[in-house]
Amino acid sequence: MERKPRLLTVLDVLSIVLLAVATWMALFWAPMEALMGNVQRVFYFHVAAGWVGMMGFLLAVIAGIAYLRTGAGKWDIVGLSGVEIGLVFAFINIVTGSIWARPIWNTWWTWDPRLVTATIMFLVYVAYLMLREGIDDPNRRARFGAIYAIVGFVSVPLTFLSIRIFRTIHPTLVGSGDPAALGAFDMTPNMRMVFFFSLFVFTVIGIDLLWHRIRLGWLKDQVEQRKFQLMS
Amino acid sequence: MFFLQQGPAETTDYMILGLAVIFVTMLLHVISLRVRRRNLEKDIELLEELEGK
Amino acid sequence: MSSERHTQGSVAKQPSYLRSLAAIVWKDLAAELRSREVFSAMLVFALLVILIFNFALELNARERASVTAGVLWATFTFAGTLGLNRSMAIEKDRGCLDGLLLAPVDRSAIYFGKAIGNLIFMLIVEIVVLPIYSVLYNVNLFVPGLLLVILLGSIGYVAVGTLLASMAVQARTRDILLPILLFPVVIPVVVAAVKASDAFLQGLPLDQISVWLNLLIAYDVIFIAIAYMVFDFVVEE
Repeated sequence: MERKPRLLTVLDVLSIVLLAVATWMALFWAPMEALMGNVQRVFYFHVAAGWVGMMGFLLAVIAGIAYLRTGAGKWDIVGLSGVEIGLVFAFINIVTGSIWARPIWNTWWTWDPRLVTATIMFLVYVAYLMLREGIDDPNRRARFGAIYAIVGFVSVPLTFLSIRIFRTIHPTLVGSGDPAALGAFDMTPNMRMVFFFSLFVFTVIGIDLLWHRIRLGWLKDQVEQRKFQLMS
Repeated sequence: MFFLQQGPAETTDYMILGLAVIFVTMLLHVISLRVRRRNLEKDIELLEELEGK
Repeated sequence: MSSERHTQGSVAKQPSYLRSLAAIVWKDLAAELRSREVFSAMLVFALLVILIFNFALELNARERASVTAGVLWATFTFAGTLGLNRSMAIEKDRGCLDGLLLAPVDRSAIYFGKAIGNLIFMLIVEIVVLPIYSVLYNVNLFVPGLLLVILLGSIGYVAVGTLLASMAVQARTRDILLPILLFPVVIPVVVAAVKASDAFLQGLPLDQISVWLNLLIAYDVIFIAIAYMVFDFVVEE
């Protein structure tokens, strides 16, 4: 993977262009939400980022299973890249969720099940990185990473369920009684278009960044190997 | 529960903050990828010198 | 299930799965009975945590009833990591793990053996903490439903904890790593256990509690299954 593939350059350009278009659409083309005003426009990217984050972690799980079955190093690189991309977009998701909540609920944090679960999932994959940090043997590092990526991902739906049931019984915490209602609003057809387009754009950006990260991982792997050979 | 006023709330500042977070985060990540790549390429140069001996 | 084969000049014994399992559990229990280091550490730690909560929360008698479930489970969660850490560290430091791996025993027996051992330690600590808490705060904790929740919650905690501890112990950062790995993943157990415990202590009807019990059971089953499938990869060399 020495020279940068032409397709990747195309993807880079495409990502930037699409992001610009999506931003314009979210800012100017989409109608203003009746109650919340302009901050609602962040919602399109907030959800898109959450989606890409989740996909990154899911990729890490799939790569993890593949690594456990085949032992091929490339799956470890893919898994780690998936986690890194996932963390970047999950971070965006959580912070924009908080920013969106602030003017609406007058608080930087609501114990909304989705926001809390997103944060916990973020912490799980930070823990994943810390686990890898603490292991020197590359083979073991890859195996343990794969295992924890799987364990972590499986725990997330259960976490979401438990918090959601908790909220249904305790609606008196900050926010509305409906646990699904963090800033609920009805989307007009135009809004829906921007929403799905943003989803698409962020997916493209995610794939682009993922590809770059995988190439980086591959390069790092080769450098490590050559260093090792040199020293032995 | 929400304010009583004509028309939507004035929340443009928050929108700008939100968008800033999104773009800055992605930009920082891209920069991080670039920096790491450059470091690795330097390592390769060094390795090639050492190997070439 | 057990077969003993005698080959020429050597005796090859294939221990049954249950036998190996029991042997591993007994090894831990016997060692612990002699030294009591894990148990005493967990117990003292648990009592200290309860003490800290007492000063941190400073509640009157009525308010205290409402946080009992939470304080108990916070205590168990923290003390539990101590037990898990020590249990796995002993294995690694004394080189027992290598010995176990050489034995003709299915890998999963090692996992279940360690997990059951850890579970027993945790349950013993919990059983000792309950009356002490009862006495200190004048609240009756011997409600059968509560005991059931403690069992189900501890099973889930230990199922995941044993798996994660066996990985954490092999890292450089072993002591601080286990809680970081375990806590985010074990949250469904904590939420469900606290809610169910609280409901039982308040004497709520069973149909209100069943959702939490089901969640606990589901978690237990799912993670025991995952640990079983994945443990081989933790100990393979």
